[in-house]
Amino acid sequence: MSSQTVAPRAGPVTGLYPALPAEERSGSRGMALPRLPAVLASSSAGPTRMSLFGSTSGFGTGGTSMFGSTTADNHNPMKDIEVTSPPDDSISCLAFSPPTLPGNFLIAGSWANDVRCWEVQDNGQTIPKAQQMHTGPVLDGCWSDDGSKVFTASCDKTAKMWDLNSNQAIQIAQHDAPVKTIHWIKAPNYSCVMTGSWDKTLKFWDTRSPTPMMTLQLPERCYCADVVHPMAAVATAERGLIVYQLENQPSEFRRIESPLKHQHRCVAIFKDKVNKPTGFALGSIEGRVAIHYINPPNPAKDNFTFKCHRSNGTNTSAPQDIYAVNGIAFHPVHGTLATVGSDGRFSFWDKDARTKLKTSEQLDQPISACCFNHNGNIFAYASSYDWSKGHEFYNPQKKNYIFLRNAAEELKPRNKK
Amino acid sequence: MTICQFFLQGRCRFGDRCWNEHPRGGGGRPHSGPVRGAGGGWGAASQRYANVIQPPIFKHSTWGGSGDGGGFSGASDFGSPGNKSAVFSQNRFSALSSAHPADGFSDEEQRLLDCVAKDMATWESSGQWMFSCYSPEAGKPNVSGFREFSAEEVRLEYYNCSANNNTENYINSVNQLVQEWRNRLQELKALNASGKESLLSQLKNAVTQPLPSLGFGGQQASSFGFPSFPVSSSSSAASFSFKANPSVPPGNAAAVGSSAAASNPPTFGVTSSPSVPNPVGSGNSSAPSAASFSFKTSGTTSGCGTSGLSGFGSSAAANSSSTAPLPVSATPSAATGTSQSGASSASAAQTAGASGHNVTSAPSAVPNGIASDKLYTPRSELTAEELEQFEAKRFTLGKIPLKPPPIDLLYL
Repeated sequence: MSSQTVAPRAGPVTGLYPALPAEERSGSRGMALPRLPAVLASSSAGPTRMSLFGSTSGFGTGGTSMFGSTTADNHNPMKDIEVTSPPDDSISCLAFSPPTLPGNFLIAGSWANDVRCWEVQDNGQTIPKAQQMHTGPVLDGCWSDDGSKVFTASCDKTAKMWDLNSNQAIQIAQHDAPVKTIHWIKAPNYSCVMTGSWDKTLKFWDTRSPTPMMTLQLPERCYCADVVHPMAAVATAERGLIVYQLENQPSEFRRIESPLKHQHRCVAIFKDKVNKPTGFALGSIEGRVAIHYINPPNPAKDNFTFKCHRSNGTNTSAPQDIYAVNGIAFHPVHGTLATVGSDGRFSFWDKDARTKLKTSEQLDQPISACCFNHNGNIFAYASSYDWSKGHEFYNPQKKNYIFLRNAAEELKPRNKK
Repeated sequence: MTICQFFLQGRCRFGDRCWNEHPRGGGGRPHSGPVRGAGGGWGAASQRYANVIQPPIFKHSTWGGSGDGGGFSGASDFGSPGNKSAVFSQNRFSALSSAHPADGFSDEEQRLLDCVAKDMATWESSGQWMFSCYSPEAGKPNVSGFREFSAEEVRLEYYNCSANNNTENYINSVNQLVQEWRNRLQELKALNASGKESLLSQLKNAVTQPLPSLGFGGQQASSFGFPSFPVSSSSSAASFSFKANPSVPPGNAAAVGSSAAASNPPTFGVTSSPSVPNPVGSGNSSAPSAASFSFKTSGTTSGCGTSGLSGFGSSAAANSSSTAPLPVSATPSAATGTSQSGASSASAAQTAGASGHNVTSAPSAVPNGIASDKLYTPRSELTAEELEQFEAKRFTLGKIPLKPPPIDLLYL
């Protein structure tokens, strides 16, 4: 254990110690890292990591050429912290607790019908805290703004509210089809839970009442959504894309023609310099992300798309393998974004400089979800099968992982001019 | 001679007076042809296309069709003489239209078609997710014939099926969907002339229509080979020839045709009770037949013919109106079904109010010819023309029957 000299809360979670049993095969390598002083702004940790652009965060070699390893196990090529007791089936969503809670708590919903909660300590230790069950796979989860409740959406067509203090969960929403997205809305004059479902509706629930406060029709099944007050963006099947404004009461603001050619898979709202939501990033199954501003001064120039999660880089002769973008998350402080894909890589991007900051090594499974913690120090990503290749590639025995990575340095934007 | 750079960009002001060389076949560049409008009175061309449905934008195509529009655009001396020079130009340059086959697509249309072909090739080779919609360009509507499912939906079906020990069913359905996807993709990769035209009209028509509040959904319904909308591309009608899939109980198969009707909102509020001959795929929970996937309420509207095939929650809510509290998956969720009905009828009413006009658009689009929720029409009820359509190998655009086919014409 390193001697933590840094002030607890504010410090980045550097020097994360994988407090894991020897199963972490790269034990020796993993231990080497933490020797880096866990100092604010990680001046030493920073350069080390940054210089390893494109290689593992170990010592420059690829994940497979490990000394002493018998099998080419690529489950953690980035040498990130593994969360203990990960779910038994694919992880569908990750969410960190809001800043109102001291410390960092992570929840993850999985296809094993459960949602689990861990406490993530500054030294990197993860302590499983509690879990709740649904009767169907959990597709999405989120925290209330005060950090006391966790809302979960499931294929059993319900959404539940989990009170962490009492460890009780009650049903708060009902749909006619699996609930795909759930978000907490905290407006000055109201608060509610927004659920999007494959039954083509968006419902808003006051958790105390069994009937929704409001129901909005969607053109098609809801595939993904994001909420940053007062804006909500919902992407549906058939390339549907709708933006809602949430002041006073939720109402449709604009239907947007999709900037992408294929199925929408994930969406994330970003904010401008004064912390107002100003646009969103939309990812599709075709290895492409579109950055779209709601009211740009020059739409043709300001909105753009970029390709990601494809094999073969710039080599245009051979056909590329194209992978779906499974998740997008914006760094809460820097405004840069992370994307995770079916190819088992994550990438960091700077949308203002329109450059890629970093791409990870390839994991042996797709990365199905990702998120940042409230201050942007921790980047969590889940490695589990996302069904992108059908049932033939599904191995129920394969272990699923959630990794935590220090994100304070790597996501700093490129300096423009 | 030097090659004229402006001509290559499609904007040479001198046309054939230009001192530089205008290479043949270089006229495929996209450009805004200001002089395009003058092609209306082009006798020869209009004759050629008389019996094909062409959108008003056709005028563009006659210009572009003659090969290098580059010589025309911006060349005011071509515009004013009108017909005479137009015909003259066409004759002159028709030999140059090696880049453009005689079907005379404008540059923009050609670009779209090329884009589609290229995208199809990429889609096939890249290993990306198959069950996705597709559009050649941002802002264009979706191309019909592609069913859209997210990975989670497919996965859920698998989980449900394996809970019921029904995985072969799942596998068959998925294989089938894959097959359909492949067929449609091959079709689009190598479009023949009629395919091209229908594709283009699809892309154009749907765009110009004003979007009702259920913008996307409504649009899709209209462009997806759906019987009630003759605009449906003939290609989609061809491939989804109402063949019922042997693996699927007949009940679902014909759901296609009648599903348009079924979408009448009133039937929705009705609960998931199996007794309702709800063409919306799975009369729900009635175990085994439903087990073949209620791939979700209506899933995609495109599934016109295909939905019947795989019973994938058949395109039901066609015009994607209303909440569609359609009975969901195969798992014996009948219990939840009943409790939902209360909620769903409430919400149906609520949403019916909220989205009043798309609900009305659905029934209005569906003429009275459609019987209630019958899955098949007995022969006696079909007109001779409809019968003829059903018996033909392919539907003729504009004559596609609105009633479901008689059961004996289905290949089961």
